[in-house]
Amino acid sequence: MKEIFKFALVLGLVTGIAACALGVVNQITQPRIALQQQLALNAGLYRVLPGSENGCIIEQHLDGLNMYYTGYLNRDTTDFIGYALPVESKGYSSTIRTLVGLDSLRNIISLKILFQQETPGLGTKCEEVRPGETEPWFQYQFKGLFVPDVALDKNGGSIHCITGATITSAAITDAVKESSVKLFSEL
Amino acid sequence: MSVGKEFIKGMVRENPVFRLLLGLCPVLATSSSVMNAIGMGVSVIFVLVASNTLVSLLRNFIPPKIRIPIYISIIATFVTVVDLIMAGFFPDLHKSLGMFIKLIVVNCIILGRAEAFASKNNTFYAIIDGLGMGIGFTFSMIIIATIRELLGNGTWLNMPVFGTQFEPVLIFVLAPGAFITLGFIIGGMNWLDHRRAAIATKS
Amino acid sequence: MSHPFTISPSPHVRDDDSIQRIMFSVILALLPAGFYAMYLFGPRVIWLNFIAIGAAVITEVLCQLVMKRPIRISDGSAILTGLLLAYNIPASTPLWMPAVGSIVGILVGKQVFGGIGYNPMNPALVGRAFLMASWPVHMTVFNIAPHGGTLSGIDAMTAATPLNAFKHIRSILLHADQYTTNEVAEASVTLSKLYGSYSNLFIGKVGGCIGETSALLLLIGAAFLMSRHIIGWKIPFMYVTTVFILTWVFGGVAGLFSGNPLFHILSGGLILGAFYMATDMVTTPVTFKGRILFGVGCGFFTVVIRLWGGYPEGVSYAILLMNLTTPLIDRLTKPKVFGG
Repeated sequence: MKEIFKFALVLGLVTGIAACALGVVNQITQPRIALQQQLALNAGLYRVLPGSENGCIIEQHLDGLNMYYTGYLNRDTTDFIGYALPVESKGYSSTIRTLVGLDSLRNIISLKILFQQETPGLGTKCEEVRPGETEPWFQYQFKGLFVPDVALDKNGGSIHCITGATITSAAITDAVKESSVKLFSEL
Repeated sequence: MSVGKEFIKGMVRENPVFRLLLGLCPVLATSSSVMNAIGMGVSVIFVLVASNTLVSLLRNFIPPKIRIPIYISIIATFVTVVDLIMAGFFPDLHKSLGMFIKLIVVNCIILGRAEAFASKNNTFYAIIDGLGMGIGFTFSMIIIATIRELLGNGTWLNMPVFGTQFEPVLIFVLAPGAFITLGFIIGGMNWLDHRRAAIATKS
Repeated sequence: MSHPFTISPSPHVRDDDSIQRIMFSVILALLPAGFYAMYLFGPRVIWLNFIAIGAAVITEVLCQLVMKRPIRISDGSAILTGLLLAYNIPASTPLWMPAVGSIVGILVGKQVFGGIGYNPMNPALVGRAFLMASWPVHMTVFNIAPHGGTLSGIDAMTAATPLNAFKHIRSILLHADQYTTNEVAEASVTLSKLYGSYSNLFIGKVGGCIGETSALLLLIGAAFLMSRHIIGWKIPFMYVTTVFILTWVFGGVAGLFSGNPLFHILSGGLILGAFYMATDMVTTPVTFKGRILFGVGCGFFTVVIRLWGGYPEGVSYAILLMNLTTPLIDRLTKPKVFGG
């Protein structure tokens, strides 16, 4: 019986010291991590709301909908650019996180995939930049599309499927359309 | 016991990946590119040296009956430190290694060295052992990743190596490619050993 | 070094068959389908076949030289592996692909395990799986239509093989609420046309891998092999029967028992797989019960992949999976020692 108390004490001591050490490391790294996440998000937001890097972006919330952002060309929020909407969709092997920029006329300004871990060489081609081009071709196809018209070519739309990765293509396309339609119906 | 011998043994004779076959989960999962291999390798070196040091320092205070939970607590602490630092300072690497940084906790090399070496030797040798094993691990990871990235992506450290005509052999960046590559390397090392043994017996 | 006994791979059955006789009979049985494929898809097929066979034979010789084993290409097994690999790729693949497939099939699928008799999986299917994982676009995009026909075997849909078309249409009909009524109506018309295209499927005037299209010619070859007792009836029969039952029960779009089993048996690589690849002596069980179980397992996995999986066709993966279970099945179904 006596041994058990000794063991508990030693284990408690070890885990206690470990917890304290981790607390300190967390204190030091937390602001850095938050900064990195902010930087990654900002890079995406500036991309889908061009011009907002000199203006401002405001986080918005709607009942029953995830948050979205509104972007302005100037700091006193009078010159409206559009909305930025984070979209999540279930791809073939990962959850794909996409950021969609939309103007007030329901056109897609631009699309940026923030995170995906699809099958290398197939689904990952949603971020592929073809030789001689500067933008990923799959995402570029969404530029300027009217939201209700967004659809894959096999379903009568204009978005070309990624060869061999129908599930990834459909997941992104469907989720972008669905979330955007929902946003405009709630606004 | 010589310093050089303890350091070198992790490279070839007791190479953790090709000889001891320890910690194969991260080896197979994160060796799809050389950058990932280096990131994973450096993380493992840090955790291995740090945990070896601490386990060796505390070896006379740790009650043998609860040594495993204590080793795991120590290892888990260092892994979390690596995870946090990487998230803060190398976000891209952290994104691509993902879950596998956290999984270093269950990497058999680290617990194995704590149990088999650090708990029985003084701190200096424990550090040398951790360094040697860690470098051996990293070295093996880079060899596997070089083959996989070259064949499966046509690049090395993200630099294109083959022309645009080359159609990457995708299977090598997928899981089966990791098994095939590892199998052939282990086979090759065994073949070399047999040859060496045969030559030794002849002479 | 000499052994006092001859060491030979399983199954250890006394028989007059030589490996050579078996291999060349199977090759002979496969030839009609190959000649028909040349007519269907053009002279390119000849090249693909020659390259696959050549690469397989050369790899086998080189491996045996390096490993200091006796050179045994005259047994015909490497030729058969090359031929089966070529039968399992689309006619439109680049010419280097059958070579890579054969090299991997022989090296990784066979020689590293110790050569003929020791391979756990069918080498040709290992080669195909490697190609499938490495260059999925080349392996799944069929763009050479058969001579005088369409890829799908019907006029309504010309851009996909029967199984691809089936998978696409089935997903539309199962999720009818996501599509316009027009699209759904069109899909059901196409489906009934697909189901009505038996004659094209049976003769083989459809798109697909080189050697898999013609059920008729493959069955003639299989009958020849069965008459010479080279392949048994158990595995192919159980395989086809399982696919028949499962696709009939689950394959339809109007609930249970609304599927069309005949379509599933005649399309894709089922006949080629069931009669020529699931019957390979080395990689299949030796016992009666074991073979029944093996056939059922192949059928089960094929249907699961075809109906619910990511690929339109599942024959090759089904056989590979069941190959790996062969030692377990053999152990499970080992007859009890008499009186023991």
